[in-house]
Amino acid sequence: MKTVIKTNGLSKTYTNTAVPVEALKDISLEFKEGEFTAIVGPSGSGKTTFLNVIGGLDKPTKGNVIIDDVDIASMKESQMFDFRLKHIGFVFQAYNLIPVLTATENVSFIMLLQKRPKEEMNKRAKEMLEQVGLSDKLDVRPNKLSGGQQQRVAVARALASRPDFVLADEPTANLDTESAFNLLDIMARLNKEENITLIFSTHDQRVIDRARRVITLVDGAVDKDEAFDRD
Amino acid sequence: MQTLLTLAWRNLWRKKRRTFITLSSVMFATILAIVLMSMISGMQEQMVDSIVRNTTGYLQIQDVLYHDEPSMDHALEYGDEVKDAVAAFEEEISYTVPRIQGFSLAAKDMGTRGVMVNGIDPKKEDRMNNLSSNITSGQMFDSGDEYAVIAEGLASLLEVEVGDSLVLLGQGFQGMTAVGTYKIGGIIRFFMPEKNNTMVYLPLEQAQYYFAAPDRLTNLIIMTEDEDLVPRLAKNLESQLDPEWYAVKTWEELMPDKLAAFEAREAQVAVFAWVLYIVVGFGIFGTIMTMMFERLREFGILLSIGLKRVKLAAICMIETLAISFLGVLAGVTAGFLIVLRLHFNPVRLADELGEIMIDMGIEPILSFSIAPEIFIYQGMVIFFIALIVGLYPVTRVLRMDMVHSA
Repeated sequence: MKTVIKTNGLSKTYTNTAVPVEALKDISLEFKEGEFTAIVGPSGSGKTTFLNVIGGLDKPTKGNVIIDDVDIASMKESQMFDFRLKHIGFVFQAYNLIPVLTATENVSFIMLLQKRPKEEMNKRAKEMLEQVGLSDKLDVRPNKLSGGQQQRVAVARALASRPDFVLADEPTANLDTESAFNLLDIMARLNKEENITLIFSTHDQRVIDRARRVITLVDGAVDKDEAFDRD
Repeated sequence: MQTLLTLAWRNLWRKKRRTFITLSSVMFATILAIVLMSMISGMQEQMVDSIVRNTTGYLQIQDVLYHDEPSMDHALEYGDEVKDAVAAFEEEISYTVPRIQGFSLAAKDMGTRGVMVNGIDPKKEDRMNNLSSNITSGQMFDSGDEYAVIAEGLASLLEVEVGDSLVLLGQGFQGMTAVGTYKIGGIIRFFMPEKNNTMVYLPLEQAQYYFAAPDRLTNLIIMTEDEDLVPRLAKNLESQLDPEWYAVKTWEELMPDKLAAFEAREAQVAVFAWVLYIVVGFGIFGTIMTMMFERLREFGILLSIGLKRVKLAAICMIETLAISFLGVLAGVTAGFLIVLRLHFNPVRLADELGEIMIDMGIEPILSFSIAPEIFIYQGMVIFFIALIVGLYPVTRVLRMDMVHSA
């Protein structure tokens, strides 16, 4: 399988605190196409920082992140914006939909920034919303959707532009059990059907139980990297 | 671009209260600036108008030596050259007011006072300053009459009334003795004590005869409807008159002390205006800063999902532009309506301030100007301030840390 992301000696130290904090310590990992990986660990273990760094939202202090044969750690911010737009999808803990856009517009938004043809955007957005079970909410704005529904729109948005991989930061943290299971079913199905690499940061056991690979971080370093056969 | 416009427009109406508060701050700032500047300009206009109408007029044609040495010997000849020059610019000149003025002594029985004898055309004076409306007893003369109208204070000092006679004694043209006895046909009241205690009015021809200066004037006042025309009109008239004999003076040249007072006042107004703009700027800044902090997370989301900073900054700028424009538009409209009402229904000043204005010869009202430039200028200044303040979210977006914002 093709390697989608490769990190070499990735370290991140925050120096804008009273005492420098080493959030990531020498992390070297590879993520293959189509993987369903959970990054787990206690609070402060570096899960979110790791996702931010491999998602290009933050820069490492040391090491590099190779995506599509390119070291994104050395990219300028403007290049990084374009790269993120084309290659990476994001799902956030707090849904983070654009409040003034409808569900369809939210799902289309990244494709719009990618300047895809309008017809293609609309077709794909509807298709994705159908896949996450929201075909009856196409023209509804986020404030009229439940938390679970909003997170499903966020998943549809992240996957609609067919990124190389999707990073999801604690996507089920704000959801009740039913909504969380529903979302995980959808993500697992899309992972298989669209062959999209999914990387979660989580300490939700429901997510961990679905992941085929679980990487445990402790104090910013990889403690365990385990593979599971979930089929 | 359409996406940015859509996002900006929808953002404006997403939180109506927030938009309304920001828009209101711009609107009230505009109203405040317009009403205050309209009041200041209105009072300035009122003072200029009052001074011009009650004293010098906008322009005067004089003998070239009269300004530096205002004696009857320097009365100008009101002949064809002057009349032709005036006729050449009749479209710009509303009307002219001829005057012959000189100091004399007025005597009645044992009382004698120094007076200013004014030879006037009563109809033209009325057009300029509605002089005859100040008559308190008797009546204003017509051109062919032979009686005098004197100021109320002077009448009181000389203990005379309508029907009495007054002896005038002074110096006429080229050393001639000016002397005459005139029946008092009317008493006139002035707010300014120096006028109220000194003014004597005679029909123009009578005064010319008294001063032994037929066909001569000390000054020919030129009135125009548009004050802005004055400098150009002065130059045009000068070009038509022989500079060896005639001078054209603007009201500013005739009253340099008043002009200096106006300029000092304008400087004070400028300082006041800047203080107002700073206060207004901070008011708008407060609302925009609050709005910015409310939306930091939203901006972080947009950046992290791929919207470029420049585009996000453009959205903020469009929102600021729209709010500023709508706020200024609403402010100018409301300000115009308020000022319009105050312009046609001016506040009458009582007490000390009113008395001071009366003493200055100005009607004691709070006058508001409706000059279009006030609305345009103040609207533009507030819009510009709002735009400058609106750059704050733009700069914040351009350097915000999206990791900690999203």
